Amino acid sequence: MRNFSSELKKLHKLIAVYAVFILSISTLAYAQDKPADTSNAAIATALPAASASTPSGDAKAGEALFKANCTSCHALNKRVLGPALAGVNNRHSEAWLLKWIKNAPAMVASGDKEALKIYNEYNQAAMTPFPQFSDDDVKNILAYIKVEGDKVNTAPVAVTGVTAASDTSYSNYMIFGLIAVIIIALLVILLLNKVISTLENLLTKKDSVGITLYEEETEVQKDKLAVVKKLIKNKKLVFFVVLCSVITLGSFGWMDLWNTGVQTGYQPVQPIKFSHQLHAGTNQIKCQYCHSSAWKSKHASIPSANVCMNCHKYVQATEKYNGEISPEIKKIYAALDYNPETQKYGENTRPIEWIRIHNLPDLAYFNHSQHVKVAGIECQKCHGPIQEMAEVYQYSPLTMKWCINCHRVTEVNSKGNAYYDKILAAHEDIKKGVKVTAAVLGGLECGKCHY
Amino acid sequence: MDSTKQYWKGLDERNNSTEFVEKNKHEFAESLPIEDVLQEAGLSSPTPRRDFLKTMGFGLGAVSLAACTVSPTKKSVPYLIKPEEVTAGIPNYYTSSFKGASILVKTREGRPIKVEGNPACTINSGSLDAQAQASVLDLYDTAKLKTPLLNGVEHPWEDIDAYAKAGLAKAQAAGKTIAIVTSTVNSPSAKAVISSFTAKYPATKHVAYDAISYSGIINANKNSFGKAVLPQYKFNKANVIVSFGADFLGSWISPLQYTKQYVSNRNATSLKSKKMSRHIQFETGLSLTGTKADSRIALKPSEEGIALVNLYAELSGQATSAKLNNAIAEKAIKLVAKELSAAKGTALVVSGSNDEHTQILVNAINSLLGSYGTTIDLDNPSYQYTGNEADFMALVAQMKTGSVGAVLFLDSNPAYNYCDAKGFIDALAKVATKISFSDKNDETASLCDAVAINHNYLEAWGDSNPVEGYYSIIQPTINPVYNSRQAEESLLLWSDSTVKDYYTFVKANWEATVLPFAGKTWNDVLQLGFVSLPAKATSPITFSGDVNATIAIVISESKKNTAGIELHLYNSVALGDGKQGNNPFLQELPDGVSKVTWDNYAALNPKYAQKLGISEFDLVTLKSDTYAIDLPVLFQPGQAHETVSVALGYGRQKVGKVGDGVGKNAYPFLATNAAVTITKIEGYYELAQTQTHHSFEGRDIIREATFAEYLENPSHGSGNHGEKHKTYDLWKKFEQPGHNWVMAIDLNACTGCGACIVACNAENNVPVVGKDEVVRRREMHWIRIDRYYSYNEENKSITEEKEIGEIEGKMENVSVVHQPMMCQHCEHAPCETVCPVLATVHSSEGINHMAYNRCVGTRYCANNCPYKVRRFNWFNYWNDSRFDNYLNNEFTQLALNPDVTTRFRGVMEKCSMCIQRIQAGKLKAKIDKTTLKDGDVKMACQQTCPANAIIFGDANDPESEVSIALKDERVYYVLEELNVQPGVGYMTKITNTGLHEA
Repeated sequence: MRNFSSELKKLHKLIAVYAVFILSISTLAYAQDKPADTSNAAIATALPAASASTPSGDAKAGEALFKANCTSCHALNKRVLGPALAGVNNRHSEAWLLKWIKNAPAMVASGDKEALKIYNEYNQAAMTPFPQFSDDDVKNILAYIKVEGDKVNTAPVAVTGVTAASDTSYSNYMIFGLIAVIIIALLVILLLNKVISTLENLLTKKDSVGITLYEEETEVQKDKLAVVKKLIKNKKLVFFVVLCSVITLGSFGWMDLWNTGVQTGYQPVQPIKFSHQLHAGTNQIKCQYCHSSAWKSKHASIPSANVCMNCHKYVQATEKYNGEISPEIKKIYAALDYNPETQKYGENTRPIEWIRIHNLPDLAYFNHSQHVKVAGIECQKCHGPIQEMAEVYQYSPLTMKWCINCHRVTEVNSKGNAYYDKILAAHEDIKKGVKVTAAVLGGLECGKCHY
Repeated sequence: MDSTKQYWKGLDERNNSTEFVEKNKHEFAESLPIEDVLQEAGLSSPTPRRDFLKTMGFGLGAVSLAACTVSPTKKSVPYLIKPEEVTAGIPNYYTSSFKGASILVKTREGRPIKVEGNPACTINSGSLDAQAQASVLDLYDTAKLKTPLLNGVEHPWEDIDAYAKAGLAKAQAAGKTIAIVTSTVNSPSAKAVISSFTAKYPATKHVAYDAISYSGIINANKNSFGKAVLPQYKFNKANVIVSFGADFLGSWISPLQYTKQYVSNRNATSLKSKKMSRHIQFETGLSLTGTKADSRIALKPSEEGIALVNLYAELSGQATSAKLNNAIAEKAIKLVAKELSAAKGTALVVSGSNDEHTQILVNAINSLLGSYGTTIDLDNPSYQYTGNEADFMALVAQMKTGSVGAVLFLDSNPAYNYCDAKGFIDALAKVATKISFSDKNDETASLCDAVAINHNYLEAWGDSNPVEGYYSIIQPTINPVYNSRQAEESLLLWSDSTVKDYYTFVKANWEATVLPFAGKTWNDVLQLGFVSLPAKATSPITFSGDVNATIAIVISESKKNTAGIELHLYNSVALGDGKQGNNPFLQELPDGVSKVTWDNYAALNPKYAQKLGISEFDLVTLKSDTYAIDLPVLFQPGQAHETVSVALGYGRQKVGKVGDGVGKNAYPFLATNAAVTITKIEGYYELAQTQTHHSFEGRDIIREATFAEYLENPSHGSGNHGEKHKTYDLWKKFEQPGHNWVMAIDLNACTGCGACIVACNAENNVPVVGKDEVVRRREMHWIRIDRYYSYNEENKSITEEKEIGEIEGKMENVSVVHQPMMCQHCEHAPCETVCPVLATVHSSEGINHMAYNRCVGTRYCANNCPYKVRRFNWFNYWNDSRFDNYLNNEFTQLALNPDVTTRFRGVMEKCSMCIQRIQAGKLKAKIDKTTLKDGDVKMACQQTCPANAIIFGDANDPESEVSIALKDERVYYVLEELNVQPGVGYMTKITNTGLHEA
């Protein structure tokens, strides 16, 4: 059996080598993401450098006010719902600004020329009046705009080139790295093979003294074939191998049959790289904000593009794309034929064709509102840690077994629901203290989901 | 049990012919070829083994190949800008109206999928007829034109407008008439549009003409009372109703309204208060109304006038020389006169005749009975039919002279339904400008130069005023699918109106006319669907016609028609005047009496046909002096001897692939006298009847009693007195602690109209299978209405079915019971125990579930079902090119209810008790955190039933309508002796035999 064990050793080594190989590739693959992220954090918008009067306010206090009140419609360096504010101190007099910020609609109504010009330029959407601001508050805000606006204007511009260069070099690294790893791996394999054969030679020499070198060589060759022959002749081994392979293949086949049509982990590439991780995770937006119909209807519904626009009219992630609008957000604009300059929807719309991930067959009726609104089940129970998914994948198997197992164990959320009071009172078992699961109330019956 | 009557569903069964007995042995129409295979020839033939292996091999290969395909990616495309009112998966309901009655249109994601009655509506009270239920398919009709046509070629609207304006200007300049030919227009806005058009083109003449005309009644009322109107009849106020050939429950004027009224005096509530109206019907063919009559007397059309003359004589005490050659009818008239005079003030006589003089006579009778102001309302008239064929006849004559410059057809198709279509077509050729507003290139439109395609009513704005003081709105529920334009809008454009948009026009018109009186706003109307102004007070009415002169005319008229066989033309309940001829739901709806689908036929009395030497399904030629058609013969018990009945509304040539060439057009017969000749010709044509398909083998399933018996003992005839069957349970009792859904059906209320069948089709995506498949007994209707004839020979008690055939008689005196039959949701369901794969199982809510995806199609369940309500999908009817008359295109598939799966080939299906509605109702209660109240969930059949014959609800709620109904003494369960414990209870039919049979 010695030969056999050495074969096994070989196998172990080979596996080890491959494991190292794969590991190294994957670490490389992960590694490439990190620098890319940091390098993108560069902003380069050049506004006309200017500053004449420095407003007499506290920029620190202004910052808080600015962030609390202004950012929903304004940014410093780009047009949002309202104009970019950097340089506003130069464009208008402080007295005018005080009046305007406190009550813009009144100014428009009074027919102030400057006010009318802005009003008409921005789709005749009047600026919200802020009568609660004192003069000092406004001055503080203006001071903040002055300080920050100037910073923005003098921000370094030359980062983009570097990012571009580093981008390409990373892909080169990857290729070189791969080649290097393959070569190293091959060398290791060769080396190990050499070592093994020498060791074996040494062992055979010890066993058979007095054989000539020539004979020795043929012996080695013969020996190689003999190993296989010997192995085949070993009935126990053959039986063992056959048994193993039958069990392995059988169990794989069995698993495969059971999982036919089960798409757990299905993660198609979507037309827009929408990240639930960012929206639901980092930004803590409630599921209901976008998937509102899950609380009312059988469909959870992908939100219509106008829901996206509630935020993305303003949120354009320009800070990550050198002042450009994020290419993914641009896709929403393209779908709606939205022009960020005029802020109007156009005629040439193209609906977004998302790839459906959770595909229940048509023969099964599933209603979101029953589960989400009535039963009060968290979305994550079926959809998994959605707030951690940069790209959504199918978390649950969505098989009937999975449905039924849950119906068997999940208690009905009947508290405070008048509908259930009468139903539960009618059940004899429940009075005896049986746990009220969906199954007890008929949740396993065919016609409840199949009609 | 106590009845000695025998019931039979068809003549085959009645005669117990060997063929029928043979057929009935088998569950399915065609036997399986097992015998052939088992016989020697089968085994020794060269095919089996090798072919088996080949097929197996190929099959395995094909399956494994098919399994290799990657499952396709499904796309999910959300709205770009979602309309605020739309939530995917939640239906929206909009008010609109169909034929004047207010309806609610159910839309899903912007497409109408179902029509329901508006529960607040005073005309339909939430119910609807078959035609309205089917109308949603008309919207998704692929035969509709996609763009307007000019000289048969598709053209943009600018070209049509230019053509129309030029044509109209030319006619106007030449001093020629411009005719707008319409069917009845009772829309206030459309009338306003026509008058504004007339203002622009003063030569315009509006001619309203209806395929089925009621001008006889209108003219008679003008003659008798000086009021040229169609009155509103109040069947609910009539204790004695006598109808001479008026099918008021099926097709006469406003059947939906009349059914409601009629049944209110005959339903469970009325019976409980010991009241039931009496209804006597004199008629030629057996109509739906005739089947409901307490006494029915078969009468030839020519005898109808004489019968009325006799009735008038009896009531007024005058003598008459006119004698009926019909002893039964003569005796009946005398008894009827007695009953009518006993019920003065609560009596009503109606006639289906369109002859002015006959109607004057009816008016005279009703005057004598004091019906005006009580059962007939002339002060609040009906505007449902205002057409006058005399006007149209005059127009055709004028067209012939060439003095008509332009003619516009709005909602009218005289080339098909005018009695002298040929004369009309010749005359039309002499008109320079011919425009049709049809949505199809139909018989008339194809003769026109321009087809300015109109919207479907579900795409259009509009209004209607069907009866005095009742105004309903039509609002669009979908954007126009094709490049169509509302006809009224076209008229506005061509008359250079300042208002170009019909919506604005309708709104302005309402705000100016109706709304100030109703005290409502436009938005109120859109939400409510209609406004109802208080009824006008009735004024005293005196009959001022010349009765004696009328009687003389009626007598002389009736003498004209006696030669040959008399032809009786009637309106089919399903297809009406034939306008919806391309609607597969209506084509496959079995006739209420004959149960024939997809055809019209020549109905003959079997005994009379025997005399003529004609067998059933023989082809015969019906020939008048100007027109002849070949039709198959149907044996119709109850048909008057020496008469033949033919349905109108069939034989369309240019309506679409569903209706083209279905049946024969009988309209041209309207032109001539009623007499025809019948000649048997070569050929045999099997009609697709659903009649004998589901035989109960003479079991005791219909129970009835007379009103007198009922008064004595309400449970008479129901088998509910005395001992119950001993029941045994093989199984552990299955509890229904939560809900227990059950149904109660009142056989006394059901008129057999078939609205429930179409409502069920639309709600549950029940496929239409076509004529050939119906002949093979493969119709898929989940609910059917069984119609049982019964025959009671005087002084003869019949116990054996075979004996019925031996009875001699004219077979004119039959009575009928309609029994809606659907899955009974048995507690001990025989289907459940035989299913090898547990595809059909019971629920804890008392419903027999059917899991389509489990079904492997053994059909054991259908074999074991004593009610024969299970349906097998022999094909993918909704998506198979061989069944091109229904859903075989993506456009029509938009009408499917997305909450119900379409069943695949090889799967069994049946009534699910609208489980999608139950589940939706429960969910709504759960979301709102309230209890589920009685009436929150309604079945599609129950909701639409004009007679409220179907009651559904929770038996665990003792206060529910159904619980109360099932406690009625009349309730029995069909085949309860089998101990299947059905969930549907039936109430016995009660017949008010009145004086003469008592």
